[in-house]
Amino acid sequence: MSHTSTLHDVPHHHANPTGWRRWLFSTNHKDIGTLYLLFALAMLFMGGASAMLIRAELFQPGIQLLDPDLYNNLVTNHALLMIFGSVMPAAAGLANWMIPLMIGAPDMALPRMNNLSFWILPAAGTMLILSFVVPFFPGGGSQINTGWTLYPPLSIQVGMSMDFLIFAIHLLGISSVLASINIIVTLLNMRAPGMTLMKMPIFCWTWLVTAFLLILVVPVLAGGVTMLLFDRHFGTSFFDAAGGGDPVLFQHLFWFFGHPEVYVLLLPSIGVLSHVIPTFARKPLFGYKSMVGAMIAVGTIGMVVWAHHQYTIGMSLGAVSYFMIGTIIISIPVGLMIFNFIATMWRGAMSFETPMLFAVAIILMFTFGGLSGVMLAVVPADMQYHDSMFVVAHFHYVLMPGAVFGLFAGVFYWLPKWTGHMYDERLGKIFFWINVTGFNLTFFPQHFLGLAGMPRRIIDYNVMFTEFNVISSIGAMIFGFSHLLLLYIVIKTIRGGEPAPSRVWEGARGLEWEVASPPPFHTWETPPPIRQEQSA
Amino acid sequence: MNPHDPQLRRKNIRLALILSGFALLVLITSFPFWQNIFQILGEAAK
Amino acid sequence: MCRRFTTVSGLIPLITGLVAGLSVTHSTQAEYGINFPPPAADVAQEIYDIHMLTMQIATFLLLVVFSIVIYSLYFHRKSRGYPADQQFHNTWFGNWSWVIVPALVLGVDLTIASNADAVLKKVWDVPKGEKLMDVKVTGHQWWWEFDYLDYGIKVESRYTPQEQAGDLYLREVDNRLVLPTNTKIRFLHTSADVLHAFWVPELAFKKDAIPGYVTETWSELNREGVFRGQCAELCGTWHSRMPLVVESISEEKFQAWVADQQAIKVAAAAEAAATKTWSREELMAKGKTLYETKCAACHQLTGQGLPPAFPPLNGSAIVNGPIEAHFNLVINGKPGTAMQAWGSLNDLEIAAIITYERNAWDNRTGDTVQPTDVALAR
Repeated sequence: MSHTSTLHDVPHHHANPTGWRRWLFSTNHKDIGTLYLLFALAMLFMGGASAMLIRAELFQPGIQLLDPDLYNNLVTNHALLMIFGSVMPAAAGLANWMIPLMIGAPDMALPRMNNLSFWILPAAGTMLILSFVVPFFPGGGSQINTGWTLYPPLSIQVGMSMDFLIFAIHLLGISSVLASINIIVTLLNMRAPGMTLMKMPIFCWTWLVTAFLLILVVPVLAGGVTMLLFDRHFGTSFFDAAGGGDPVLFQHLFWFFGHPEVYVLLLPSIGVLSHVIPTFARKPLFGYKSMVGAMIAVGTIGMVVWAHHQYTIGMSLGAVSYFMIGTIIISIPVGLMIFNFIATMWRGAMSFETPMLFAVAIILMFTFGGLSGVMLAVVPADMQYHDSMFVVAHFHYVLMPGAVFGLFAGVFYWLPKWTGHMYDERLGKIFFWINVTGFNLTFFPQHFLGLAGMPRRIIDYNVMFTEFNVISSIGAMIFGFSHLLLLYIVIKTIRGGEPAPSRVWEGARGLEWEVASPPPFHTWETPPPIRQEQSA
Repeated sequence: MNPHDPQLRRKNIRLALILSGFALLVLITSFPFWQNIFQILGEAAK
Repeated sequence: MCRRFTTVSGLIPLITGLVAGLSVTHSTQAEYGINFPPPAADVAQEIYDIHMLTMQIATFLLLVVFSIVIYSLYFHRKSRGYPADQQFHNTWFGNWSWVIVPALVLGVDLTIASNADAVLKKVWDVPKGEKLMDVKVTGHQWWWEFDYLDYGIKVESRYTPQEQAGDLYLREVDNRLVLPTNTKIRFLHTSADVLHAFWVPELAFKKDAIPGYVTETWSELNREGVFRGQCAELCGTWHSRMPLVVESISEEKFQAWVADQQAIKVAAAAEAAATKTWSREELMAKGKTLYETKCAACHQLTGQGLPPAFPPLNGSAIVNGPIEAHFNLVINGKPGTAMQAWGSLNDLEIAAIITYERNAWDNRTGDTVQPTDVALAR
């Protein structure tokens, strides 16, 4: 195991390495955080390009750009790149950068393991991209046409690219389990004296819950895909009904991972919001304790409702009733979180810088996605919604605001802290408006498509679905290209700009605003004193 | 808090090992070997 | 490819349609289809109603949240000089909101869950102790098979190509699922290869077809009509080409249809059983039709296939090689690939297909395969 390496001395900071060595051998949480964020940004553009190809194909009925297997391959790749390549590493990047600063720790608890958990990612990303491109080479076998759910028996039929994908998932899983262990250890053992758990900033709390969820569910996915690999090559029949196996077992394993994964993506962004909203409302977070309680409840209930992704597999009446009621119950803690955010804004003195604009958009759009989630939880109605474009619209309304916009808010919020330069506020606002308009234009019409009867993951559709698909595709192009502006803003801010003070935002609280912007290479070598008003 | 304090490092590594042991346990139980155990138990009960 | 592609001018009726559709909750299928089509069964109506109920509750809650947020955004801003109320979380409301809010949400949840559970009990399980008509629906890559178990009829249903289907392309099939009204029908769903899902929106349910499983659903159609849906679970390359068309007709018409189908079946069986030697031309003509319906989806009309998933037959080593290997592949399929076992076809059909494959395109084996040869190879 990798942990043994941490038994050696943590490198002393006599001479800071420079050049490529600085990054490859880095054990510094700030550098590793930067690496995570850059990796996520690269993957965001690749996943976005595949999404835009999908929408370009769906712009009109008929098959114009892609062949059906390539289309399905892109559908698979888009999901995996975005979830495993972009959102999870970006959230881990924020955690690496901010958690030690927020809790007054000099670094992560296990710095060398931190280095390992990042440097597995480029290898995993390469594997993931190989799984996409291998079929284009002679003898490369067929393309992955299963979607990211990888349901057998279809995934048994796929050629060798599926094996690349399985190994990519293993590597990504190892990376996030190692990162989670590191974060839990850091949060439990490395807090500055006087910072009790209930004084910890909410972002740290969300990551504590997220990290526990990851350790609980990622190994299950690893087990599931391992069995898939055995079924494909070693003659086992875990999922092959003809050999006495059970194809539905894979679905249970997958969604036992897949549903908590939704909260893994969501919670870090909730944590970001819990800092952004109080800062720009200039008053403390409303309901710190109920926030903590709500996220623990979300994590716990979220572990036991996975089968609402599989209402149509023919479960018994008792089973579907249980999963329906369990799923609807999740609206209680999630509703409480949304309420706390609104109550934080209420009677505040709000100003609307880019992070706050994203935060407000998240509250409104995530509520919308959450309510369509309650509709989907209702089993009889879900027999209609299931696997239709309505579902596509729903989960993009949950994940895009809930996860991605939260990360955007976090990046704009902390970018001046990381770089020492203010970003261009005018460009930030322009990016926000284009981005949010494009997003809604893309996904709102998909609700209607689903209700009218269009299934998801089809390359070609009847002419009756044309109008909404045209709108959706136009929106997707606006949405997709708007991220070039994000890239420009980030590069511009890194290269220069108005110097940022250590407390970048007037209303910001917390230890991270007491170090300089950008922070020195080593921070909090002596733990800071904890005063009551510093906790978020 | 001194990050090079051996006591803290031992504490960190112990917690990390416990957590990784837990992850391995979850991995192993995700293989459905227990399905057959339930079957055998069920048959034995008859 | 696209005859109804609309430009900006199409957006205006669209927006008005949206507004109208949202305000009139029980709108029937609007021009652009923004809600479920009108249900065709009483249980489907129940499902439609619970969908409308939850959607109305969700819309109401959304309006409440939006109003509060927009009020706050307008009034509680620094630029208007509003002073932040630093003690808001210490008011009685701040102290008790963690109880009040979950209680309110719980009330909404219980309203939805109790209504949903009542509907679920009616629709989920097939009625017991009643006489039902059984229809086994088997998903194949990429066509549907309907077995009317009570009548011994088997119908194969494949998508209609665009030239024939026109505007109904991907919503039309060669053989429809014909069902009688006012009869309780039990659908038994299963699959021959990978996962598929049966979805016809007017029946308001969806059920996965899983190999090795038989799942049940039921319905009782209450009106005549043609209801169109399609496969809803990703099943590989041509997932988009698995439409499902239900034709609902009166019981008398259905009995007449059953009699027709049985007569066709008897005639086909007699033809296959006839001990005659078939000429190459007869077999080639029959084989061409069969190949184009059953094989061409993967191996293509040209025999070129879609490598690597679907190998070409034109010039293939198996098709041009020893005939035993060819028999074996067609009758038993190739496990772990999309090539399924076609052993359920009768001897004449297999003989015709193999004769066609061995003599079509550039293949020139000159073989003429008789049904008796197939019987020996089995």
